Amino acid sequence: MNTVLSRANSLFAFSLSVMAALTFGCFITTAFKDRSVPVDIHVSKVMIKNVDDFTGPRERSDLGFVTFDISANLQPIFDWNVKELFLYLTAEYSTKSNALNQVVLWDRIILRGDNTKLNLKDVKSKYFFFDDGNGLRANKNITLTLSWNVVPNAGILPLVMGSGHKSLAFPESYETAKSY
Amino acid sequence: MLSVFKSIPTHMDYKGQKLAEQIFQGVILVSAVIGFIYGFTIQQFGWTVYIMLAGFMISCLLTLPPWPVYRKNPLNWQPALPETSGENRDKPQENQKKKKHK
Repeated sequence: MNTVLSRANSLFAFSLSVMAALTFGCFITTAFKDRSVPVDIHVSKVMIKNVDDFTGPRERSDLGFVTFDISANLQPIFDWNVKELFLYLTAEYSTKSNALNQVVLWDRIILRGDNTKLNLKDVKSKYFFFDDGNGLRANKNITLTLSWNVVPNAGILPLVMGSGHKSLAFPESYETAKSY
Repeated sequence: MLSVFKSIPTHMDYKGQKLAEQIFQGVILVSAVIGFIYGFTIQQFGWTVYIMLAGFMISCLLTLPPWPVYRKNPLNWQPALPETSGENRDKPQENQKKKKHK
């Protein structure tokens, strides 16, 4: 403490410790919060095709097309320890070969300050809904779920599942693919 | 020219150093508490950090330069003794004892 540099050093070190304590306080005030909100998913159109999957098995695989609506109010999730939300819509189903299949159909990043009212109509899936075989045709129980990753300023990265699922059934017959 | 610069006192005495430490700790802690409460009420952690940094800057201004406030308790040095051959061995120890006051 007798020179400018040693004072600057102890000041800086003390400030960093206090900053760490503040960050921990920010984490602890939000650590036990429930970040689940109700989500309303509605499926407007379902279609299935049987096409060549060049990435998977060398056979024709089922490719599903789902058009859906999502509405949710994400405002309660945001607080001072949330930087962004990573929303993703998954389809879960079981086939003969796999007890649990999970396919991400769509995702979106919602930054702090963005519009938190999610109101989407007739959205097409962002990613291909490929099954690794022919498990989609006439599958009666495919569950769509909206989940999100909460990206915080400090602390854990929770994975939250929205409450509100949508179960849908795929048709029995393939859409004949004229051109794709 | 150099002698002008050398005549500017730049040191802090012991009590001044203690005072400087207490001042910067107090300023930073108070700004941290204010920032935490303000940031929590408006739910913006960025403001907590900014207020904390403001406290850091204020305490830098207050305690980094050796202000005259930190030089109010100068050490009372013993007056220079005339050099005598016999007493030279005892005197340095006495000097050390007298220096130890904070």
